[in-house]
Amino acid sequence: MKTGGKLMKLAISDEGFIFDPETGNSYTTNPTGLLILRMLKEGKGEEEIVKALTEEFGAEEEEARRDLYDFLEQLRAYGLVEGV
Amino acid sequence: MIRVAVSGINAVDNPGPGVGIAKGIRESGLEVEIYGLAYDSMDPGIYMKWLFSRSFIMPYPSEGEEVFLQRLLYIKHNYGLDVLVSALDAELPLLIKAADRLQTYGIRTFLPTYEQFKLRAKDRLPEVAERIGVKVPETRVVSSYEELVKATNDLGFPVMVKGIFYKAKKAYNVGEATAHFNEIVSEWGYPVIVQKVVQGEEMNVVGLGDGEGGHYGLVAIKKLWITSLGKIWTGVTVHNENLLKATERFVGEFKWRGGFEFECIVSGEDIYLIEINPRFPAWVYFSAGVGVNLPARLLKAALGLDVERDWDYEAGKLYVRYTDDLVADMAMFQSIVLKGEV
Repeated sequence: MKTGGKLMKLAISDEGFIFDPETGNSYTTNPTGLLILRMLKEGKGEEEIVKALTEEFGAEEEEARRDLYDFLEQLRAYGLVEGV
Repeated sequence: MIRVAVSGINAVDNPGPGVGIAKGIRESGLEVEIYGLAYDSMDPGIYMKWLFSRSFIMPYPSEGEEVFLQRLLYIKHNYGLDVLVSALDAELPLLIKAADRLQTYGIRTFLPTYEQFKLRAKDRLPEVAERIGVKVPETRVVSSYEELVKATNDLGFPVMVKGIFYKAKKAYNVGEATAHFNEIVSEWGYPVIVQKVVQGEEMNVVGLGDGEGGHYGLVAIKKLWITSLGKIWTGVTVHNENLLKATERFVGEFKWRGGFEFECIVSGEDIYLIEINPRFPAWVYFSAGVGVNLPARLLKAALGLDVERDWDYEAGKLYVRYTDDLVADMAMFQSIVLKGEV
């Protein structure tokens, strides 16, 4: 999944606190968001992330996919990912 | 023992930079004695004896160079004085003009040139921005009500209404713009700057130019929380490459000498230059706190010592200003009022 260089620069803590060193903005996310962010940073694709979400949180595939899309939309709105 | 005088010790709700500068110098590792230069017997720095071993009431710079220098010479002759670190815009023209004379008296400074100092005028910003390849918000310089209305018609609301050196207020309609215009004119005179509001992150850089196109360190921050006067209360260090490169171009292009603050709005890839302050800002201690002690480096530069140039600070360090209080004896107040020193 192509997310742009911004994501690689984010500092993401184990507790789900995210700091953008370029803008000084900070954000918080839940364990689901944290897992998605980590996998995006590792360059993982949509199918892999959806699979991980179903395995980790016991979600149905359709629900996991919808959550992923919603989260990506939020990241895009904050300017943390490009394209996707 | 190096004896340093620092001005701007008015640590009030619109604080001068003097207390932050003194804190940085105290952490320099040099053996120093710091004097505070005050303009009011109530300036809080006077009473911070752990920072300023002595304080002196200064004549206003508007009283002229001779009176001001005589006061500095009085301090030098009676207590010793090696370096003067000025932190107030109002003192700078006088001190820049008198820098050579001060040097012959054995009082060193590390100040911008007069040409550099003049770049702080907001009507000069478009020229500066063009030379270093950044933007300025669309701007009109107005001197009458008719020009003000025309400017707001051209730019659309909201606009920033600014004095040429000080004060900036946002206006959402002609009524507010007119009120701000009248207030600024009555306090600071003509002309007034009307500027389109640019959306983005408000970021500032504090730096110390070496006068030859290089610098002794930069630290960039984003303001997280400001007071009703627009002064920073909390902030965070950032590594914004575009902003830092623009600041380096500014230092290089104008061969800036001394402390400065470079104020910008960062909107994606675009940098909008908002203001240049020809001295350290009141939050300058933040630089020392993140390992780039600019006040100490300025002192070393003034003394002609080797000055560090590393500025590898960490992004994500927080600056938190807070209020504090202290108790002093009436004898101190009496001394500063009656003798002009304590």
